[in-house]
Amino acid sequence: MSNVIETRNLRYRAGRNFEIRELSLNVPAGSIYGFLGPNGSGKTTTIALLMGQLRASQGSITVLGQSMPQAAPRILARTGFVPERPHLYPTLTVEEVLRYHASFYQSWDWRRADELFGRFELDRSLKLSALSKGETGKLMMLLALAQNPDLLVLDEPTDGLDPVVRRAMIIAVLDYVSQRDAAVFISSHLVHELERICDWVGVMDNGKLVAEMPMQTFKSGIKRLRVTGAPALVEDPPFVLLSRDTGETLGAGEVWVVRGWQTPMQQYFEGIGASLREVVDLDLEEGFVELLRTFRAPRAQA
Amino acid sequence: MLTQIDPRSPTPLYDQIAARIRVAIAAGELEPGQPLPSVRRLAGRLRINPATVVQAYRVLESEGFVEMRQGAGTFVREVENQRRSQERNAEAARLVRAMLTEAARLGLATDDLVTAFKHEVGASDR
Repeated sequence: MSNVIETRNLRYRAGRNFEIRELSLNVPAGSIYGFLGPNGSGKTTTIALLMGQLRASQGSITVLGQSMPQAAPRILARTGFVPERPHLYPTLTVEEVLRYHASFYQSWDWRRADELFGRFELDRSLKLSALSKGETGKLMMLLALAQNPDLLVLDEPTDGLDPVVRRAMIIAVLDYVSQRDAAVFISSHLVHELERICDWVGVMDNGKLVAEMPMQTFKSGIKRLRVTGAPALVEDPPFVLLSRDTGETLGAGEVWVVRGWQTPMQQYFEGIGASLREVVDLDLEEGFVELLRTFRAPRAQA
Repeated sequence: MLTQIDPRSPTPLYDQIAARIRVAIAAGELEPGQPLPSVRRLAGRLRINPATVVQAYRVLESEGFVEMRQGAGTFVREVENQRRSQERNAEAARLVRAMLTEAARLGLATDDLVTAFKHEVGASDR
Protein backbone atom coordinates (compact mmCIF):
# COMPACT_ATOMS: atom_id res chain seq x y z
CA MET A 1 0.00 0.00 0.00
CA SER A 2 1.61 3.23 -1.08
CA ASN A 3 -0.94 5.77 0.14
CA VAL A 4 -2.40 5.94 3.62
CA ILE A 5 -5.09 8.35 2.49
CA GLU A 6 -6.51 8.45 -0.99
CA THR A 7 -9.57 10.29 -2.21
CA ARG A 8 -10.97 10.33 -5.73
CA ASN A 9 -13.17 13.11 -7.05
CA LEU A 10 -14.75 13.93 -3.74
CA ARG A 11 -17.64 16.29 -3.74
CA TYR A 12 -19.43 17.74 -0.77
CA ARG A 13 -21.71 20.71 -0.61
CA ALA A 14 -21.43 22.48 2.71
CA GLY A 15 -23.73 25.37 2.02
CA ARG A 16 -25.05 27.55 -0.72
CA ASN A 17 -21.74 29.26 -1.24
CA PHE A 18 -19.23 26.58 -0.48
CA GLU A 19 -18.42 23.16 -1.78
CA ILE A 20 -15.56 20.71 -1.89
CA ARG A 21 -15.17 19.55 -5.46
CA GLU A 22 -13.04 17.19 -7.54
CA LEU A 23 -10.89 16.53 -4.51
CA SER A 24 -8.27 13.85 -5.15
CA LEU A 25 -5.76 13.61 -2.32
CA ASN A 26 -2.79 11.24 -2.10
CA VAL A 27 -1.02 10.95 1.23
CA PRO A 28 2.00 8.63 0.88
CA ALA A 29 2.73 6.03 3.56
CA GLY A 30 5.32 7.19 6.07
CA SER A 31 4.99 10.83 5.10
CA ILE A 32 4.33 13.89 7.20
CA TYR A 33 1.82 15.63 4.99
CA GLY A 34 1.10 19.32 5.51
CA PHE A 35 -2.43 20.29 4.52
CA LEU A 36 -2.27 24.02 3.92
CA GLY A 37 -4.86 26.58 3.05
CA PRO A 38 -6.30 29.85 4.25
CA ASN A 39 -9.14 29.90 6.76
CA GLY A 40 -12.34 28.73 5.11
CA SER A 41 -10.62 26.90 2.26
CA GLY A 42 -12.17 23.55 3.22
CA LYS A 43 -9.45 21.89 5.30
CA THR A 44 -11.63 21.02 8.26
CA THR A 45 -14.52 19.89 6.03
CA THR A 46 -12.14 17.62 4.13
CA ILE A 47 -10.85 16.14 7.37
CA ALA A 48 -14.41 15.56 8.59
CA LEU A 49 -15.02 13.63 5.33
CA LEU A 50 -11.82 11.61 5.79
CA MET A 51 -12.80 10.74 9.37
CA GLY A 52 -16.32 9.69 8.40
CA GLN A 53 -18.04 12.56 10.19
CA LEU A 54 -19.54 13.86 6.95
CA ARG A 55 -20.74 11.93 3.91
CA ALA A 56 -19.48 12.93 0.48
CA SER A 57 -22.13 13.20 -2.21
CA GLN A 58 -19.69 11.86 -4.80
CA GLY A 59 -16.33 10.14 -5.00
CA SER A 60 -14.43 7.65 -2.87
CA ILE A 61 -12.22 7.73 0.22
CA THR A 62 -9.67 5.12 1.20
CA VAL A 63 -7.89 5.39 4.53
CA LEU A 64 -5.29 2.83 5.63
CA GLY A 65 -6.35 0.64 2.73
CA GLN A 66 -10.04 0.54 3.66
CA SER A 67 -13.10 2.41 2.47
CA MET A 68 -14.53 5.27 4.43
CA PRO A 69 -17.26 5.39 5.70
CA GLN A 70 -18.00 1.65 5.29
CA ALA A 71 -15.00 0.57 7.34
CA ALA A 72 -15.08 3.53 9.73
CA PRO A 73 -14.71 1.57 13.00
CA ARG A 74 -11.69 -0.36 11.73
CA ILE A 75 -10.07 2.76 10.32
CA LEU A 76 -10.70 4.88 13.39
CA ALA A 77 -9.29 2.19 15.67
CA ARG A 78 -5.94 2.74 13.96
CA THR A 79 -6.17 6.52 13.56
CA GLY A 80 -5.26 9.12 16.15
CA PHE A 81 -7.45 12.12 15.47
CA VAL A 82 -7.05 15.55 17.01
CA PRO A 83 -10.05 17.59 15.84
CA GLU A 84 -10.08 21.34 15.59
CA ARG A 85 -12.59 21.59 18.42
CA PRO A 86 -12.08 19.07 21.20
CA HIS A 87 -15.17 17.09 22.15
CA LEU A 88 -14.45 16.15 25.74
CA TYR A 89 -16.73 15.94 28.76
CA PRO A 90 -16.06 18.99 30.93
CA THR A 91 -17.16 17.33 34.17
CA LEU A 92 -14.71 14.43 33.98
CA THR A 93 -11.19 14.61 35.36
CA VAL A 94 -8.16 14.11 33.15
CA GLU A 95 -7.65 10.64 34.64
CA GLU A 96 -11.28 9.67 33.96
CA VAL A 97 -11.10 10.85 30.36
CA LEU A 98 -8.00 8.76 29.89
CA ARG A 99 -9.61 5.59 31.24
CA TYR A 100 -12.75 6.23 29.23
CA HIS A 101 -10.78 6.81 26.05
CA ALA A 102 -8.44 3.85 26.64
CA SER A 103 -11.37 1.45 26.83
CA PHE A 104 -12.16 2.08 23.16
CA TYR A 105 -8.73 1.19 21.79
CA GLN A 106 -7.19 -2.26 21.77
CA SER A 107 -3.86 -0.75 20.86
CA TRP A 108 -3.87 1.68 23.80
CA ASP A 109 -0.41 2.04 25.35
CA TRP A 110 -0.39 3.07 29.03
CA ARG A 111 3.37 3.36 29.08
CA ARG A 112 3.29 5.96 26.33
CA ALA A 113 0.42 7.74 28.08
CA ASP A 114 2.44 7.94 31.32
CA GLU A 115 5.51 9.12 29.48
CA LEU A 116 3.52 11.88 27.76
CA PHE A 117 1.95 12.89 31.07
CA GLY A 118 5.38 13.66 32.42
CA ARG A 119 6.49 15.39 29.28
CA PHE A 120 3.37 17.57 29.02
CA GLU A 121 3.23 18.21 32.79
CA LEU A 122 -0.49 17.56 33.04
CA ASP A 123 -2.33 17.15 36.33
CA ARG A 124 -4.46 13.99 36.28
CA SER A 125 -6.83 15.12 39.01
CA LEU A 126 -8.02 18.30 37.31
CA LYS A 127 -11.49 18.55 35.83
CA LEU A 128 -11.48 19.23 32.12
CA SER A 129 -13.41 22.44 32.64
CA ALA A 130 -10.42 23.69 34.67
CA LEU A 131 -7.86 23.08 31.93
CA SER A 132 -6.32 25.92 29.98
CA LYS A 133 -6.45 25.94 26.22
CA GLY A 134 -2.85 24.74 26.06
CA GLU A 135 -3.49 21.91 28.53
CA THR A 136 -6.56 20.80 26.57
CA GLY A 137 -4.46 20.74 23.40
CA LYS A 138 -1.79 18.65 25.07
CA LEU A 139 -4.39 16.26 26.47
CA MET A 140 -5.91 15.78 22.98
CA MET A 141 -2.46 15.03 21.57
CA LEU A 142 -1.76 12.61 24.42
CA LEU A 143 -5.01 10.74 23.73
CA ALA A 144 -4.18 10.48 20.04
CA LEU A 145 -0.60 9.25 20.57
CA ALA A 146 -1.34 6.83 23.41
CA GLN A 147 -3.67 4.83 21.20
CA ASN A 148 -0.59 3.85 19.18
CA PRO A 149 -2.02 4.87 15.81
CA ASP A 150 -0.79 3.99 12.32
CA LEU A 151 -2.05 7.35 11.14
CA LEU A 152 -2.28 10.67 12.93
CA VAL A 153 -4.79 13.20 11.65
CA LEU A 154 -4.25 16.59 13.23
CA ASP A 155 -6.61 19.45 12.43
CA GLU A 156 -4.94 22.75 13.34
CA PRO A 157 -3.57 21.08 16.48
CA THR A 158 -1.61 24.10 17.63
CA ASP A 159 -3.92 26.90 16.54
CA GLY A 160 -4.16 29.60 19.18
CA LEU A 161 -1.61 27.97 21.49
CA ASP A 162 1.50 29.62 22.84
CA PRO A 163 4.89 28.79 21.31
CA VAL A 164 6.06 26.66 24.25
CA VAL A 165 3.03 24.38 24.03
CA ARG A 166 3.20 24.29 20.22
CA ARG A 167 6.80 23.19 20.36
CA ALA A 168 6.10 20.49 22.95
CA MET A 169 3.29 19.08 20.81
CA ILE A 170 5.31 19.06 17.60
CA ILE A 171 8.25 17.37 19.33
CA ALA A 172 5.90 14.72 20.74
CA VAL A 173 4.65 13.96 17.22
CA LEU A 174 8.19 13.80 15.80
CA ASP A 175 9.27 11.57 18.64
CA TYR A 176 6.37 9.25 17.93
CA VAL A 177 7.10 8.89 14.21
CA SER A 178 10.80 8.31 14.84
CA GLN A 179 9.91 5.30 16.98
CA ARG A 180 7.12 3.95 14.89
CA ASP A 181 6.40 3.85 11.21
CA ALA A 182 3.31 6.06 11.08
CA ALA A 183 2.03 8.73 8.72
CA VAL A 184 0.93 12.17 9.83
CA PHE A 185 -1.69 14.32 8.11
CA ILE A 186 -1.55 17.78 9.63
CA SER A 187 -3.58 20.80 8.64
CA SER A 188 -2.51 24.30 9.48
CA HIS A 189 -2.49 27.82 8.29
CA LEU A 190 0.73 28.35 10.24
CA VAL A 191 2.98 27.76 7.28
CA HIS A 192 6.27 28.17 9.10
CA GLU A 193 5.44 25.47 11.55
CA LEU A 194 5.01 22.94 8.77
CA GLU A 195 8.02 24.06 6.78
CA ARG A 196 10.54 22.13 8.83
CA ILE A 197 8.62 18.95 9.49
CA CYS A 198 6.60 18.08 6.39
CA ASP A 199 7.88 16.15 3.42
CA TRP A 200 4.66 16.54 1.40
CA VAL A 201 2.29 19.46 0.99
CA GLY A 202 -1.22 19.80 -0.28
CA VAL A 203 -2.68 23.27 -0.72
CA MET A 204 -6.41 23.95 -0.55
CA ASP A 205 -8.15 27.05 -1.76
CA ASN A 206 -11.87 27.62 -1.99
CA GLY A 207 -12.77 23.94 -1.78
CA LYS A 208 -10.23 22.75 -4.30
CA LEU A 209 -6.82 21.17 -4.03
CA VAL A 210 -4.64 23.57 -5.99
CA ALA A 211 -1.29 21.82 -5.49
CA GLU A 212 0.05 18.57 -4.09
CA MET A 213 3.74 17.72 -4.25
CA PRO A 214 6.86 16.88 -2.24
CA MET A 215 7.84 19.79 -0.03
CA GLN A 216 11.23 20.09 -1.72
CA THR A 217 9.66 20.43 -5.15
CA PHE A 218 7.25 23.01 -3.87
CA LYS A 219 10.00 25.06 -2.26
CA SER A 220 12.66 24.80 -4.92
CA GLY A 221 10.69 25.64 -8.03
CA ILE A 222 9.22 29.01 -7.06
CA LYS A 223 11.52 32.01 -7.46
CA ARG A 224 11.35 35.74 -7.61
CA LEU A 225 13.39 37.18 -10.48
CA ARG A 226 14.54 40.70 -11.07
CA VAL A 227 14.56 41.37 -14.79
CA THR A 228 15.49 44.44 -16.82
CA GLY A 229 14.83 45.23 -20.45
CA ALA A 230 12.15 42.64 -21.03
CA PRO A 231 9.64 43.27 -23.82
CA ALA A 232 6.05 43.89 -22.79
CA LEU A 233 4.95 40.63 -24.34
CA VAL A 234 6.92 37.47 -23.77
CA GLU A 235 6.25 34.27 -25.61
CA ASP A 236 6.66 30.71 -24.45
CA PRO A 237 8.90 31.07 -21.45
CA PRO A 238 10.34 27.71 -20.30
CA PHE A 239 8.89 28.32 -16.81
CA VAL A 240 5.44 29.26 -15.57
CA LEU A 241 5.20 33.01 -15.20
CA LEU A 242 3.03 33.50 -12.12
CA SER A 243 3.16 37.25 -11.92
CA ARG A 244 4.96 40.22 -13.34
CA ASP A 245 5.19 43.60 -11.62
CA THR A 246 6.91 46.72 -12.85
CA GLY A 247 9.11 47.97 -10.05
CA GLU A 248 8.42 51.12 -8.07
CA THR A 249 11.84 52.61 -8.68
CA LEU A 250 12.93 53.46 -12.18
CA GLY A 251 15.72 51.28 -13.53
CA ALA A 252 15.34 48.65 -10.87
CA GLY A 253 13.58 46.45 -13.40
CA GLU A 254 10.58 44.23 -13.04
CA VAL A 255 9.81 41.55 -10.52
CA TRP A 256 8.73 38.23 -11.95
CA VAL A 257 7.50 35.35 -9.87
CA VAL A 258 7.97 32.04 -11.64
CA ARG A 259 7.34 28.39 -11.03
CA GLY A 260 9.37 25.47 -12.36
CA TRP A 261 12.59 27.43 -12.34
CA GLN A 262 15.93 25.78 -13.21
CA THR A 263 19.30 27.50 -13.47
CA PRO A 264 19.89 26.87 -17.22
CA MET A 265 16.79 28.94 -17.95
CA GLN A 266 18.91 32.05 -17.48
CA GLN A 267 19.71 31.77 -21.18
CA TYR A 268 16.11 32.48 -22.02
CA PHE A 269 16.55 36.12 -21.02
CA GLU A 270 19.38 36.71 -23.48
CA GLY A 271 17.13 35.30 -26.16
CA ILE A 272 14.48 37.94 -25.53
CA GLY A 273 17.01 40.75 -25.17
CA ALA A 274 16.51 41.14 -21.45
CA SER A 275 18.84 40.60 -18.56
CA LEU A 276 18.33 38.68 -15.39
CA ARG A 277 19.69 40.63 -12.43
CA GLU A 278 18.76 38.49 -9.50
CA VAL A 279 17.15 35.19 -8.55
CA VAL A 280 15.64 35.10 -5.07
CA ASP A 281 14.43 31.93 -3.40
CA LEU A 282 10.97 32.09 -1.90
CA ASP A 283 10.30 30.25 1.32
CA LEU A 284 7.21 28.14 1.85
CA GLU A 285 5.06 31.00 3.06
CA GLU A 286 5.93 33.29 0.16
CA GLY A 287 5.51 30.43 -2.29
CA PHE A 288 2.16 29.64 -0.76
CA VAL A 289 0.97 33.23 -1.01
CA GLU A 290 2.12 33.51 -4.64
CA LEU A 291 0.46 30.23 -5.52
CA LEU A 292 -2.88 31.35 -4.13
CA ARG A 293 -2.56 34.74 -5.76
CA THR A 294 -2.13 33.26 -9.22
CA PHE A 295 -4.72 30.63 -8.66
CA ARG A 296 -7.23 33.34 -7.86
CA ALA A 297 -6.12 35.74 -10.59
CA PRO A 298 -8.35 36.03 -13.63
CA ARG A 299 -7.37 33.68 -16.45
CA ALA A 300 -6.61 36.65 -18.72
CA GLN A 301 -3.22 36.99 -17.10
CA ALA A 302 -2.01 33.54 -18.10
CA MET B 1 27.54 21.55 16.03
CA LEU B 2 24.07 20.93 14.66
CA THR B 3 22.19 23.36 16.79
CA GLN B 4 20.80 25.39 13.96
CA ILE B 5 19.43 24.77 10.55
CA ASP B 6 17.57 27.10 8.25
CA PRO B 7 14.22 25.72 7.13
CA ARG B 8 13.71 28.73 4.88
CA SER B 9 16.85 28.11 2.89
CA PRO B 10 16.44 26.56 -0.56
CA THR B 11 19.14 24.05 0.38
CA PRO B 12 17.24 20.93 1.47
CA LEU B 13 17.38 20.29 5.22
CA TYR B 14 19.07 16.90 4.80
CA ASP B 15 21.77 18.61 2.74
CA GLN B 16 22.33 21.21 5.42
CA ILE B 17 22.68 18.56 8.11
CA ALA B 18 25.00 16.40 6.00
CA ALA B 19 27.17 19.44 5.20
CA ARG B 20 27.51 20.40 8.86
CA ILE B 21 28.58 16.91 9.86
CA ARG B 22 30.94 16.59 6.91
CA VAL B 23 32.71 19.79 7.91
CA ALA B 24 32.80 18.74 11.57
CA ILE B 25 34.51 15.50 10.54
CA ALA B 26 36.92 17.33 8.20
CA ALA B 27 37.81 19.82 10.92
CA GLY B 28 38.36 17.10 13.50
CA GLU B 29 35.50 18.29 15.66
CA LEU B 30 34.02 14.83 15.28
CA GLU B 31 36.53 12.00 15.69
CA PRO B 32 36.59 8.50 14.26
CA GLY B 33 34.43 6.11 16.24
CA GLN B 34 32.37 8.88 17.76
CA PRO B 35 28.61 8.30 17.57
CA LEU B 36 26.30 10.80 15.86
CA PRO B 37 23.13 11.72 17.77
CA SER B 38 20.35 9.17 17.36
CA VAL B 39 17.77 9.94 14.67
CA ARG B 40 15.12 10.39 17.32
CA ARG B 41 17.19 12.81 19.37
CA LEU B 42 18.38 14.92 16.48
CA ALA B 43 14.89 15.11 14.94
CA GLY B 44 13.50 16.23 18.31
CA ARG B 45 16.27 18.73 18.90
CA LEU B 46 16.01 20.34 15.47
CA ARG B 47 12.22 19.83 15.29
CA ILE B 48 12.40 18.20 11.90
CA ASN B 49 11.07 15.06 10.27
CA PRO B 50 13.05 11.98 11.43
CA ALA B 51 13.12 10.85 7.79
CA THR B 52 15.18 13.95 7.00
CA VAL B 53 17.81 12.94 9.56
CA VAL B 54 17.92 9.41 8.16
CA GLN B 55 18.36 10.85 4.67
CA ALA B 56 21.30 12.99 5.84
CA TYR B 57 22.97 10.03 7.54
CA ARG B 58 22.51 7.88 4.42
CA VAL B 59 24.20 10.51 2.26
CA LEU B 60 27.15 10.63 4.65
CA GLU B 61 27.31 6.86 4.70
CA SER B 62 27.39 6.64 0.90
CA GLU B 63 30.24 9.15 0.90
CA GLY B 64 32.17 7.07 3.42
CA PHE B 65 32.11 9.56 6.28
CA VAL B 66 29.99 7.53 8.66
CA GLU B 67 28.87 3.98 9.20
CA MET B 68 25.32 3.04 10.15
CA ARG B 69 25.26 -0.05 12.35
CA GLN B 70 21.92 -1.74 12.63
CA GLY B 71 20.46 -1.18 16.07
CA ALA B 72 23.62 0.46 17.41
CA GLY B 73 23.59 3.84 15.75
CA THR B 74 25.68 5.89 13.35
CA PHE B 75 29.43 6.33 13.87
CA VAL B 76 32.13 8.52 12.38
CA ARG B 77 34.57 6.61 10.18
CA GLU B 78 38.28 7.07 9.78
CA VAL B 79 38.73 9.57 6.93
CA GLU B 80 42.05 10.13 5.12
CA ASN B 81 43.81 13.40 5.84
CA GLN B 82 43.84 14.33 2.17
CA ARG B 83 40.09 13.93 1.91
CA ARG B 84 39.57 15.93 5.07
CA SER B 85 41.65 18.79 3.78
CA GLN B 86 39.72 18.69 0.49
CA GLU B 87 36.49 19.06 2.45
CA ARG B 88 37.87 21.95 4.47
CA ASN B 89 38.98 23.71 1.28
CA ALA B 90 35.59 23.15 -0.32
CA GLU B 91 33.83 24.61 2.71
CA ALA B 92 36.16 27.62 2.75
CA ALA B 93 35.45 28.17 -0.96
CA ARG B 94 31.71 28.02 -0.26
CA LEU B 95 32.03 30.68 2.43
CA VAL B 96 34.00 32.96 0.13
CA ARG B 97 31.54 32.50 -2.72
CA ALA B 98 28.65 33.39 -0.42
CA MET B 99 30.55 36.48 0.69
CA LEU B 100 31.26 37.53 -2.89
CA THR B 101 27.62 37.10 -3.89
CA GLU B 102 26.45 39.15 -0.94
CA ALA B 103 29.03 41.86 -1.64
CA ALA B 104 27.95 42.06 -5.29
CA ARG B 105 24.35 42.37 -4.20
CA LEU B 106 25.29 45.29 -1.94
CA GLY B 107 27.42 46.88 -4.67
CA LEU B 108 30.75 46.47 -2.84
CA ALA B 109 33.91 46.15 -4.93
CA THR B 110 36.04 43.04 -4.59
CA ASP B 111 38.98 45.24 -3.59
CA ASP B 112 37.01 46.57 -0.62
CA LEU B 113 36.47 42.99 0.47
CA VAL B 114 40.12 42.05 0.09
CA THR B 115 41.18 45.07 2.13
CA ALA B 116 38.66 44.30 4.84
CA PHE B 117 39.66 40.66 4.86
CA LYS B 118 43.36 41.47 5.31
CA HIS B 119 42.53 43.93 8.03
CA GLU B 120 40.33 41.48 9.94
CA VAL B 121 42.79 38.62 9.62
CA GLY B 122 45.56 40.93 10.84
CA ALA B 123 43.38 42.03 13.72
CA SER B 124 42.67 38.52 14.84
CA ASP B 125 46.38 37.58 14.59
CA ARG B 126 47.46 40.29 16.92
